[in-house]
Amino acid sequence: MGKHIKILEFALSSLWRRKYKNLGIIMVFTLIVMTLSSILLLTYSFKREAFAILKGAPELIIQKIRAGRHDFIPLSYTKKIREVPGVGKVIPRLWGYYYDISTGGNYTVLGTFRGIKNSINVLKGKFIRHGESGVCVIGKGISQARFAEIGDRIPIKGADGKFHSFRIKGIFGADSNIITNDLIIINPEDFKSLFGIENNIFTDIVVQVYNPSEINNVAARIKALFPDTRPITKKEILRTYDTLFDWRSGLVLTMFAGALLAFVILAWDKATAMNAEEKKEIGILKAIGWETSDIMELKFWEGFVISSLSFLTGLIGGYIHIFFFGASIFSPALKGWSVIYPDFHLMPYINPYQIAVLLFLTVIPYMAATIVPSWKASITDPDVIMRG
Amino acid sequence: MILHPGIIALLTGALIEVALLIYSSYIGLVIIMRWNANSSTEEQLSLERKTYLVSTIMSFVLAFSILSTLLFIYTVDGMHRLFTGAMCATGSLNANPVGWYALYMKISIFFLASIWIAVNYIDQRTEDSPLVKKKFILLLCITPFLFSDIYLQFRYFLGLKPNIITSCCGSLFSKEGGGMAGGLSGLPTHPMEYIFFSSIFIYVFIACVSLFSSKGFIKYLTGLMAIVLFIISLASIISFISLYFYEIPTHHCPFDILQGHYNYIGYPLYISLFGGTVFGILTGVGEGLKKSRLLTIQINNLQRKWTITSIALITIFALICIYPMIFSSFTLEGY
Amino acid sequence: MNTIIKTENVTKVLNRGRPNEVRPVRDVSMEISKGETVVLKGPSGSGKTSLLSLVGCMNRPTSGKIIVKGKDVAKLPERFLNLIRRNTFGFIFQQLNLINGISVKENIMLPLYPTGSGFPELKKRAENIMDKLGITHRKHFPVQGLSGGEQQRVAIARALINNPDIILADEPTAHLDTKLSGDLINIMKLLKEEGKTIVIATHDPLIYERDFIDRMIEMRDGKII
Ligand SMILES: Nc1ncnc2c1ncn2[C@@H]1O[C@H](COP(=O)(O)OP(=O)(O)OP(=O)(O)O)[C@@H](O)[C@H]1O
Ligand SMILES: [Mg+2]
Repeated sequence: MGKHIKILEFALSSLWRRKYKNLGIIMVFTLIVMTLSSILLLTYSFKREAFAILKGAPELIIQKIRAGRHDFIPLSYTKKIREVPGVGKVIPRLWGYYYDISTGGNYTVLGTFRGIKNSINVLKGKFIRHGESGVCVIGKGISQARFAEIGDRIPIKGADGKFHSFRIKGIFGADSNIITNDLIIINPEDFKSLFGIENNIFTDIVVQVYNPSEINNVAARIKALFPDTRPITKKEILRTYDTLFDWRSGLVLTMFAGALLAFVILAWDKATAMNAEEKKEIGILKAIGWETSDIMELKFWEGFVISSLSFLTGLIGGYIHIFFFGASIFSPALKGWSVIYPDFHLMPYINPYQIAVLLFLTVIPYMAATIVPSWKASITDPDVIMRG
Repeated sequence: MILHPGIIALLTGALIEVALLIYSSYIGLVIIMRWNANSSTEEQLSLERKTYLVSTIMSFVLAFSILSTLLFIYTVDGMHRLFTGAMCATGSLNANPVGWYALYMKISIFFLASIWIAVNYIDQRTEDSPLVKKKFILLLCITPFLFSDIYLQFRYFLGLKPNIITSCCGSLFSKEGGGMAGGLSGLPTHPMEYIFFSSIFIYVFIACVSLFSSKGFIKYLTGLMAIVLFIISLASIISFISLYFYEIPTHHCPFDILQGHYNYIGYPLYISLFGGTVFGILTGVGEGLKKSRLLTIQINNLQRKWTITSIALITIFALICIYPMIFSSFTLEGY
Repeated sequence: MNTIIKTENVTKVLNRGRPNEVRPVRDVSMEISKGETVVLKGPSGSGKTSLLSLVGCMNRPTSGKIIVKGKDVAKLPERFLNLIRRNTFGFIFQQLNLINGISVKENIMLPLYPTGSGFPELKKRAENIMDKLGITHRKHFPVQGLSGGEQQRVAIARALINNPDIILADEPTAHLDTKLSGDLINIMKLLKEEGKTIVIATHDPLIYERDFIDRMIEMRDGKII
């Protein structure tokens, strides 16, 4: 035990004596860890936020499909769906997107007078009531983008080309605000007149199923009943998200394979290229009684210290980058992630699994790359220093 | 299915490991052919020095096999949502049974690498390096395992088709489920408890006897019993031990106990079981290596320590298993 | 007579079979008794350093026997050679070979790091030796700042920390002026009084003409004459 501590101690002092030489590899190592950890942290928190949204989402949604495209679904469908065994409530929904030219944002517009699960408690002001016309509840993102407060009016351009204005009754102010950030809620009647939608058709239908294990059966029955519909189960959405996010981060990681390889080669090279001073030191150690395995242990500790230091710094760097600076370095590359809005604060989150994945991608290749060079150094003949 | 961060990590690691091991095997082959302890040539010296490299690589392989087993289980666990019916790692493994073989392979590598390191340890502490050829033949035997490991992992991850309807611990590890795993959890709990505790008792007894006896066969028996106990213990974890930790009579998952939700109790549980088994097996393996006087002296010393460590670890393992049975209100009466 | 080192027909061949084959040591048989102080004398290239490193378990001979304290070390694997070297020999080299950037005390304790002895033990030994050699007041100084004489003492202290029975010195005065050489010789005498066996390879008359030398072994072309 004492032996390992003494060798570790010597490794530390030996690193310190060559700090400028080691700084290079530590910096590159840190950068690699920081980049990879940023990718992982970002995708994981997106995934988590997405799941948080979906937590309140309905177990089963029925859409109508026409010519392979999503179409409005007639109210008449609900009656028959209600008769399918195992089905509880059947709720038709009205929602859509609105592109706001003035802010350049894409808003989700929801036509309902019922509250939204999990978010009603973070509402400032009041929710809209049944039959109340010309009022709305908006998300924090919209309120900030348009500098609109409760009582202000928000103009929305309708299908008729004219602006309809809505008085703000309430604003959602959740911390993690992806759910409600871009949301505008208005009454169903307003929704229809705004977008010029006929009566008795809806965007989709939410179906409640009593027994969760029956969902697939119910979906199949509805599909058989109405061949022009597409039942979407929450499980399916979750699965799609899972694959999508994993695939995305995997893809990005693979794109960094080249950088990783370059790093491994650099590590190998650095470990091989010892200057005369270092070679002499190892020669001295061998001559005064250090054994080959002791030198290998010394080299192992050096690698260990370098990797732990770089790994921790890189990980903390990545964490700060993602959660405190909103992934600012990545943001140009992230435009394609359309679900994310201009201003988002991800909830800080990190788990041991991500750390393990990072270790496998950085520390293990580094350690492996330094095994052979360390061994080469450690088999120095003990008597070399006797012949100048 | 390959572009998952965890899978990329696992396969990267496995490729590195295989590359290192191919190199070691090459060294091993040269050593087996050219080793001559009586020669003072420079070639002999360089071969001697290469054994250091190989032993470092094997330590790396051992450490890696432990880490990669954990990462594998976690990755597989995180993927369960992709498969209809899967609720934990067990479900994902069932989605493509090759995954189970990959896991068995990893466990075998762990045991083999530990044995190699022990043999190397003995060899390096004996002046005439009597076990050199043996240990490098063993090394050459380990290499195919690593190849299989990486091959099976590829096969498993490539073969995963999301949306496969799989059975999970609920159904698969339940009495109705078929296959070996189903059979394990279907084992009647009470007899299984008796078998488990009596085999622990028998093992500890035999190991204690072997401490005081100089008879070879009892040491071999200790090694053999360690393997038997290992298998019985895994079966028991699935059959009833896990149930006490989960406090759900139908949840037979051997992996969920590794999660924070169950206070990571799986780690001490498996560490003590695997450790106890390794040292038990070593007691037997060591006996088989007592081929010369010097070796016998070396091994006698170590064997004692190994056996004591094994007894201690298995006792800890047993205590961890017993703990919830005594202190939790959950009972298996009637299941 | 109490033999501590004995060689029988020791030969070292380097690069065997190649055009640059050399035989620095040829068929050397000799005996050194416990407590003896011996000088290995010979012209440059005669094989003194090579013989010293064979006897000191730095490497293995191509053939022959080397018996150190009754044990044949000629065929031992490196790690056992190292063990014997660490427990039996103290080396004083031609160059000082100190590690720059670390303190006097650390340099002196360095050989004991891999032995696993506890820190208090290391400290006690290092302090004893520093006292004996009069460098205690410099113990926290980085070695590169010391005077030549002080550095010399540090190197000797490092050779003595494992309390060796045999001290091997290879041209210890080659880089020293007359005064420092005199100091070194005084230390050697002290060690001789303590009963250590000393083997010095040198062609410096300053050493081999002193009366504390018991015996001279002369070498030429790798052979003892
Ligand atoms: N590693 C080596 N490679 C090639 N030649 C060597 C090697 N080691 C020693 N020799 C040769 O062996 C011979 C003996 O060398 P050695 O250093 O033992 O002599 P020495 O008596 O110590 O000389 P000096 O007084 O110059 O130190 C020399 O000719 C030297 O060139
Ligand atoms: Mg010389």
